[in-house]
Amino acid sequence: MRRLGWVAWLVPVLLIVLVVPAVVLARSGGAGFDGVVGSIESRYHTHATRIPFLCLMSLVARKATSGGVSAVHIAEFDHFTAKVDGDELNRMVEEKLGQGWERIIRETSRRGGEQTLIFARPEGDRMGLFVLDLDGNEMDVVQVSVDPDRLNGTINRYDRGDREHGDASD
Amino acid sequence: MRKFFLLLAPAVLAIAVPVLSQTASTSPSGPSPFPLQPAIEKELAAKASNVTEVTLGKNMLGFAAKFMDGKDADDVATRQLIQGLDGIYVRDYEFDKDGEYSPDDVDKLRQYFETSEWTPIVREREKKSGESTDVMMKMVNGASQGMFILSAEPRELSIVLILGPIRMDQLGALKGLGGLSALGNVDQSVKKKDKADQTPKEGGTQ
Repeated sequence: MRRLGWVAWLVPVLLIVLVVPAVVLARSGGAGFDGVVGSIESRYHTHATRIPFLCLMSLVARKATSGGVSAVHIAEFDHFTAKVDGDELNRMVEEKLGQGWERIIRETSRRGGEQTLIFARPEGDRMGLFVLDLDGNEMDVVQVSVDPDRLNGTINRYDRGDREHGDASD
Repeated sequence: MRKFFLLLAPAVLAIAVPVLSQTASTSPSGPSPFPLQPAIEKELAAKASNVTEVTLGKNMLGFAAKFMDGKDADDVATRQLIQGLDGIYVRDYEFDKDGEYSPDDVDKLRQYFETSEWTPIVREREKKSGESTDVMMKMVNGASQGMFILSAEPRELSIVLILGPIRMDQLGALKGLGGLSALGNVDQSVKKKDKADQTPKEGGTQ
């Protein structure tokens, strides 16, 4: 009987231990890119279009740029009709992105139809870039990790190619 | 049983507190390093139809310098300039109608820089169009440690603040950075002003 009493207490306590963090995390939608997307979905009652095979695309981008661009995350909100308060959106993104991110560019219109937020975060030799852009009824959220040296190399390679192509056509 | 709960309580707290604190975290970027009073910024932003803010702190500038590959002489100069700076801040406010911001708002901005450290180098007022331009340099022990540019048009107010050691002849190098294209013109204005100083003054430029 005494043993059964223990169990009777233990079950609700274990439920609290497991359920409370799960509920809080679920409500907050986690942190980082997914957290931002989750927050936008719940705040503005909309759903992001997930890009199929994004991991594969990220891998291709990494190969194509020789490691210049990697860890690509994309979420697209079509038919975004909610009225956006720029300050609120900015606050929400800042909170969800977490520590280390610095906002470098913010463009906001009073009527709310155009919002651009660009955050950056040093990641060792790389730089994390987070871009949110709302233009009319479409919102795009992108996060990438960039290696400046390698990306520069890739850009220069294409630049040289363009110049040589231009010279040849002249 | 009581002992059991006393032991269990810290375990519950150990799991729940980090989770709750994560969700209640404050803004990661903290207060804006832009040294203008937030009240003025908010006031202008509330009246403007479009607001653009560029905030590049020392860390970001150091990292941005890595994007200059350093082979080109201009790139080397720009990289050296950027690496030495403490911050670049741009604020651009666009208004739907004339007179949506008051001359008092502009004066408040100017007053912030009317200290012994800041020296006005360009002061341009056009009565007809109502446009004005102010360029001020922060001088510390004879060396320039910053620059403030305020350009006011009837429907647009632009503020550029560069903190750190900077030379006028290097300004043009920054015009490639986002929001700083006007710096090329400021460089020319200052050169023009230098020429004007050598010849008798003309027009509204002081």
